[in-house]
Amino acid sequence: MNMTRRQFIASLGSTGLFYAFHFTSKSGAQTQSVEEPFTAMVDPGCVVSDMDIDYTDWIAFGPGDKVSVFTGRAELGQGLKTVITAIVTQGLEITRSNLAVVMGDTDLCPDDGITSGSSSTRMVGWGFWLACEKITGDVIARASQYVGIPADDLEFRRGGVGRKGETGNLVNASELGNGKTLIMTINPRTMSAGKKYTDLKIPNVNAEEIITGRLKYVGDLKKPGMLYAGWLCTPYHRTVTKLKSVDAGAALALPGVKKVETVWGRVAVLGERYSDVIKGLDLVETTWSEPNRPKEMPLEEARANAGLLAVEEQKGDINAGLSASDFTYSENYTTHYTCHCQLETDMAVAQVENGGDKAAVWVSTQHSHKAKELIADALHIPPENVRSIGMPAGGAFGGKQANPVNREAAKLSSLVGAPVKLVYSRKDQFQLRAFFKAACIIEVTSGVSANGKILARKVDSYQDVGHGTKHTYDIPHVLVKAYRDPNWPLGLASSRGTSYVQTCFATESHIDMLAHKLGIDPLEFRRKNVEFPAYVNLIDSCADMIGYGKNELEADEGIGLAIVLHGGAQLGAIAAKVAVNRNTGKITVKRLCGAFDIGTVINLNTATVGLRGGMAWGIGYALSEEIELDGHSTKTEYFSQYRIARFSDMPPIDISFHDNHQPGSPPRGCGEMPVIPTIGAIANAVYNAVGVRFYSTPITPEKIKNALGSATREAI
Amino acid sequence: MAKKNFTLNVNGKVRQVTAELDEPLLWVLRDNLGLTGTKFGCGSGECGACSVLIDGEVRRSCRVPVAYAALGREITTIEGLGTTGNLSPLQKAFIDHTAFCCGFCTPGMLITATALLAKNPYPSREEIITAMDNNLCRCGSYLNVIEAIEAVIKAT
Repeated sequence: MNMTRRQFIASLGSTGLFYAFHFTSKSGAQTQSVEEPFTAMVDPGCVVSDMDIDYTDWIAFGPGDKVSVFTGRAELGQGLKTVITAIVTQGLEITRSNLAVVMGDTDLCPDDGITSGSSSTRMVGWGFWLACEKITGDVIARASQYVGIPADDLEFRRGGVGRKGETGNLVNASELGNGKTLIMTINPRTMSAGKKYTDLKIPNVNAEEIITGRLKYVGDLKKPGMLYAGWLCTPYHRTVTKLKSVDAGAALALPGVKKVETVWGRVAVLGERYSDVIKGLDLVETTWSEPNRPKEMPLEEARANAGLLAVEEQKGDINAGLSASDFTYSENYTTHYTCHCQLETDMAVAQVENGGDKAAVWVSTQHSHKAKELIADALHIPPENVRSIGMPAGGAFGGKQANPVNREAAKLSSLVGAPVKLVYSRKDQFQLRAFFKAACIIEVTSGVSANGKILARKVDSYQDVGHGTKHTYDIPHVLVKAYRDPNWPLGLASSRGTSYVQTCFATESHIDMLAHKLGIDPLEFRRKNVEFPAYVNLIDSCADMIGYGKNELEADEGIGLAIVLHGGAQLGAIAAKVAVNRNTGKITVKRLCGAFDIGTVINLNTATVGLRGGMAWGIGYALSEEIELDGHSTKTEYFSQYRIARFSDMPPIDISFHDNHQPGSPPRGCGEMPVIPTIGAIANAVYNAVGVRFYSTPITPEKIKNALGSATREAI
Repeated sequence: MAKKNFTLNVNGKVRQVTAELDEPLLWVLRDNLGLTGTKFGCGSGECGACSVLIDGEVRRSCRVPVAYAALGREITTIEGLGTTGNLSPLQKAFIDHTAFCCGFCTPGMLITATALLAKNPYPSREEIITAMDNNLCRCGSYLNVIEAIEAVIKAT
C-alpha cells in the first residue's frame, strides 16, 4: 500500500462514500451527523480509557462494492483484525473478499488510541458494531433520496440498498457519496445495538498466512541497501552507568561490519548481515563508569523511598471500620520481577530519507501514532514527515506501548544514511530493555465482623504502577494507596494486566487466610462478601467444575479459588487444583476451571484461546517466572533461566461463560483478566494441599522444600 | 571469515548461496533465500521458533551452521509443508482449532509436530507433550495446538 490517505480517498472517485465515526462519552455529544469536506478532517486527539471514550474510526465504501475500514490499532495476536472482519462483514452483509481492514498505518489510519487494556473488542470491535448500524440507516436514507422510493420500502443488504421483497440491489453504497466525509458522533454509553449479531465464530483471518509462513512481521521486511543493527548490551543497568570509552577498531576490521555508531550514550554495530552485527558487537571494546548505586537492592529500599502514586480507592472511614471490627488481620505479601517475553523480540525497520527529513518506519508496536511522535522527536523533524506503519506483532502484552526500538531504528538510519533493521537479541530483551513487571510489597489489613462480613480493608502497595486493586468485595470502609520510588533504576511495566496482577495475588491469598482464621470455608466466605451477585454464580460454576468439596483429593493435592474484577466490568472466578511433591518441591497444576462474565462473546474461538493463554501466564507467574537482578545488573539472559509456561506445564482447562452481571451487554474484554486470579487460585490451592501459606511469588520448588522441611501444618 | 558458495536442498529445490562457513542456517534461509517463515526468537536454540527439518529431524536453524546443512541434506521449512490449496492435515487442523494467537511460534510448532507424526502417527498425549515441549508460545495457545495434533491423529 503505497499511497497516502488523501490519495486513497481520491481513488474512491467522486462517488465514494466515506464515514468517520467519533466515539465519545462526553455529555451533550448526542448522536449527530455533520458533513465536512475530507480535506478539513484532522486526526482527533485521543483519550481512550474506561472513563472517557474519545476516538474515531473510519469506514469507506468504494470503489464499486469494496469496503475499507481504518483503525490505528494493532493486531498483536489478540485477534482484533478477525473481530473487525467478523463484525463488518456481517453488519454490512458483505463478503470477506470485498473487505479490507487497514490497521496501524499513520498515513492512512486515525489515531484511535493505544491497543492495550483488553480494549480491542470492547472498544474498537464494539465501535464498528455500532457504526455498521448507523451506516445502514444513513445509507437507506441517502438511497431513498437517490432512487425516489420511501425509506420504509427499502432495506440495506450486501453493501447497498434494495427494495423490500425484491432480490437485486438498486444502488451500491459507494454510489451515494459526494466526495465529502460524513462525520457521525456516537455515544457508545447511550447507544445499544438493535441487531443481534450471531455466529461470529470465524477463524483467524490471518490463519492461512500464519500456517504457511507467509505472514510478514516487521523482521521479515527487507529494503534495498538495508543494514542490520544491534545495540551493545551494557554491563550494568543503563540508568546506573555511563559510557566512558569506545574502541571500534577490531569490529570495523570485519568485512561485514559497516559502521559502529555511538549515540545516546550507547553503541550500535551496523552490518550487512545480522551475523556480522553479532560478531562486531563481540569485538567492540568499551569501558563504563562504575554503577552509581549499591549492588544490593532489597525491595525494602523502594518502600523506604516511595512516594504516594495514587489513592486508588477511598470509601467510608478506614479507622472507624477497623475499630468496629471484631477481628482484624494484617499480612504482607511480596512479588517478583517478570518479563513480557514476546516471542518476537523488539525489531523495527527504518528508512530515513531526504537528508534525514523524512522517515518511514515499519513497527511492531501497540500504538503506531505514538511511535510516529517519538520518531519525530528523535529526529527533530515535524510529525507529518514521519510515517509509522504497524505490522502484525509477534506478541506485545504491554511491552510494546512506546517501545524505543522504533525511534532507535530511525535514529540509526538517519545517522548512516541507509535503511536499517534494528534487532534486539533475547539477551537485550532481558538486560538492555530491562522493562519488567514490578516486584511489589503489598501490605493488607482487613477487619471482619463476628458474623463473617468484611467491614474494612486497607491496602498499601509499593512499586505499584496503577490500577492495582478492584472492589471485588462489598466492604464499607476501604483505603487503597499505591506508592512508587521515583528514582528506582528499573523501568516498571504493566504486562498482561495492571498492578492488579500483583495485588490480586495478595488480596485473594489474604481472603483465604481470613476465612481460615475465622473457621469459614473460603468459598462460603467469598459468597458472603462479594460485591456483585453475579460472582456467586461464577464461584459456584468453577467450584462445581473442579469438584470443590467433593473429597476427591489425594494426599498433598489441594483446590483453591480466586476472583477478579478487571477493566471496568470483566468478572471472573478461577478454581485451581494442584499436587505438591514434597520430595522435589514441584507443584503440578492438575486442572484450572474458569467462569467468566464478560458481556457478549463475539468470537468464541479467539476468546477461548485468549482466556487459556492468560491462565498459562498465571501459571508461569505463580510458579516459575522470575527475573534475577540486583542494583547493578540483570542476570537473566536465556529462556533456560526464565521458565514461561510450556506444554508440560498446562493442565486441562474448563471454561464457562455467564451473562448475569449486565445481561445482553456489549463485549467487556478478557485479554488480561484471566492471568490475574490464576495466581491467587494456585497459591490458595497450595495452601489447601500442604497447609503452608507462601507470602511471596513465585512459589518455587526451593521455597516448597524449605517450608515443608520446617513448617507444621496449620489448621485448615 | 571468507565467504563460500554452498548448495542447499531446500523444500525439494536446489539453491545456491554465498555465506560464511559458520553463518547460522536461519539467516541464510531468511536473507539469502527469502524464506522468512522461519523465525528468530532467541538465537540460542531454546524457543523453537526457528525449527526446520534436516533429513527429517527437527533442528534449531539458529544453531546449525550453513556448512553442515549444505552436505547434501534435505532441508524443509514451513514454506515446504504445504501451500494454499494444498495444505497439510496439520496446517488445516491448526486453523480449525485456533492453534495460535500472534502466530510467531506457529511455523516452529508445525515443523515439530510434522516430524512427530512422521515418526509416530499415533502418539499419546504424553508423547505429544514431550515432543513439543521445547517449542515456546508466549500467547499460551498450547492446549489448542495439542487439540489440533490430536484431531489429525484421530483422522489418520
